[in-house]
Amino acid sequence: MTSAVVQPDVVSVRGQTDAARRPVLEARNVNVSRSNALVIEDASFTIYQGDYVGIVGPNGGGKTTLLMALLGVLPRDSGEVRLFGEPLERFRDWHLVAYVSQDAISFDADFPLSVRELVALGMANRGNLTRRLTGADWRVVDDMLGEVGMADLANDRIGHLSGGQKQRMFVAKALVRDPKILFLDEPVAGVDAVTQEKFYKMLNDLNIARGITICTVSHDLAAVFCRMSKVMCVNRLVNVSDVRDIDEPGEFLKKAYGEHFHFVFHRHECGGVFGSDRPVAP
Amino acid sequence: MCSAVTDLSLLDIPRLLGFQFFQYALLGGVIAAFACAWVGLFLILRKEAMLGDGVAHTSFGGIALGLLLGISPILVALVVSILAVIGIHIMRTKGLARSDSAIAVMLATGFSAGLIIISLAGGFSVELFSYLFGSILTIDMSDLVIVTVLGLVTLGFLGVFYKEMLSITFDEGAAKLSGIPVETLAISFDVLVATTIVLSIKVVGIVLVVALLVLPGLSALQLNLSFKGTAAAAVCFGTVSMVLGIILSAVYDVATSGVIVFMAAGIFGVVAVYKRLG
Repeated sequence: MTSAVVQPDVVSVRGQTDAARRPVLEARNVNVSRSNALVIEDASFTIYQGDYVGIVGPNGGGKTTLLMALLGVLPRDSGEVRLFGEPLERFRDWHLVAYVSQDAISFDADFPLSVRELVALGMANRGNLTRRLTGADWRVVDDMLGEVGMADLANDRIGHLSGGQKQRMFVAKALVRDPKILFLDEPVAGVDAVTQEKFYKMLNDLNIARGITICTVSHDLAAVFCRMSKVMCVNRLVNVSDVRDIDEPGEFLKKAYGEHFHFVFHRHECGGVFGSDRPVAP
Repeated sequence: MCSAVTDLSLLDIPRLLGFQFFQYALLGGVIAAFACAWVGLFLILRKEAMLGDGVAHTSFGGIALGLLLGISPILVALVVSILAVIGIHIMRTKGLARSDSAIAVMLATGFSAGLIIISLAGGFSVELFSYLFGSILTIDMSDLVIVTVLGLVTLGFLGVFYKEMLSITFDEGAAKLSGIPVETLAISFDVLVATTIVLSIKVVGIVLVVALLVLPGLSALQLNLSFKGTAAAAVCFGTVSMVLGIILSAVYDVATSGVIVFMAAGIFGVVAVYKRLG
């Protein structure tokens, strides 16, 4: 896999304090119900530019529901969501937002698309209906494939890829129109541990190199604490913390998973990259 | 008109190409083959192949009505087919019927309306048979104009909304999240299917039009190419079937629509066997 090129002007974004950065996603007293049952209760949090957020919590705890409500796909009972400072109802700059769904990789393996063609589909959005892709667009597609380490698979059929390659392809598809925030719902479900680790490392590189805000649902708690800058616990209640402020991850996670949950974790297991791949700016 | 070219052999093909009716037939056929291959590929990938058959049979009611009223049967069929796809869409989206049931309801209603109109008009005519089984060797300039206009509308729509149609065909949910107007494009595409079917009725007839839609795309899909490659192969297969079908049927004086579809089926068989053995 090709590592992303680190650009000095955006490296510092993740290291800065929250107060120094621009809020990209704000939730205030958000309540969401499904089938008349309250799934998300009074969620209030702010995600800042450059955050790499791991969304954790038990199955059925409301992680996907929360994502769908934040994207405006599911209606809220009450509360306010703002994207880039704009109330969700008035937000129009959807090209700034990208989403990779839980079941993106379970597509029809016989669908006749090359990897390059699929990634180019990421360009299509309400803002450029009817516009044909130009040579410059295709160069962006090829650069993005290089960035996720798939340049040599560009002309392969999408059905021939492995699980890990499919995930990287869908991240490339999501990023190809240069969004500022990327949501992923369990992107590594069903792939082996080594591929998962490579995937989170790739997201980490993209987060640092492009300064893109990433919010990903994950069951890999070690990856969340080693790679990501913030952790969002979701089990009806929503709790967001900076991972560097959490002294006892096991205790913190009990808020979402319950008192009987045990997560034994030592920072040294991260190989010195706890919460980030680089030292925190002063 | 066909009697002018009986007792021919393959050596007479150059002479055949000199006849105006034959040039019209080839031109109309190739336009229909292009439109059918493109629309058919999307139709297969959207798992809606039976929509083609359903709409084709529903259009029978329109053809019969046009003949009864003395208005262009093709244009009346176009209106009836468009109403049929809108009806199917409404039944699906309002939860009145699933896709296959909605198509079956519309097919039966349109076809039975056609039968009633025919009996009121005093029975089947030769002209009605020509719409059921196609009569491309009899198309005149006005037919050719209609086929060309409808073909250009179809190919123009797919050219303009190429990436959006591909997006909604691959993953409707993701396309919706990207702000692509999925519903509007889906109903527009269904209207396009109706248009393509109507422009192909003169070529292969109501009964066989679904073959012209499905076979080229299905053959191309066997080749495991990219989307652009698959679409190009589908257009190639459709055009080759059409041209060979028209020429061979004229030379050997057999039903043109039958030979065109038989060619398309033959190509599918050859490609499928080649891929399995290769």
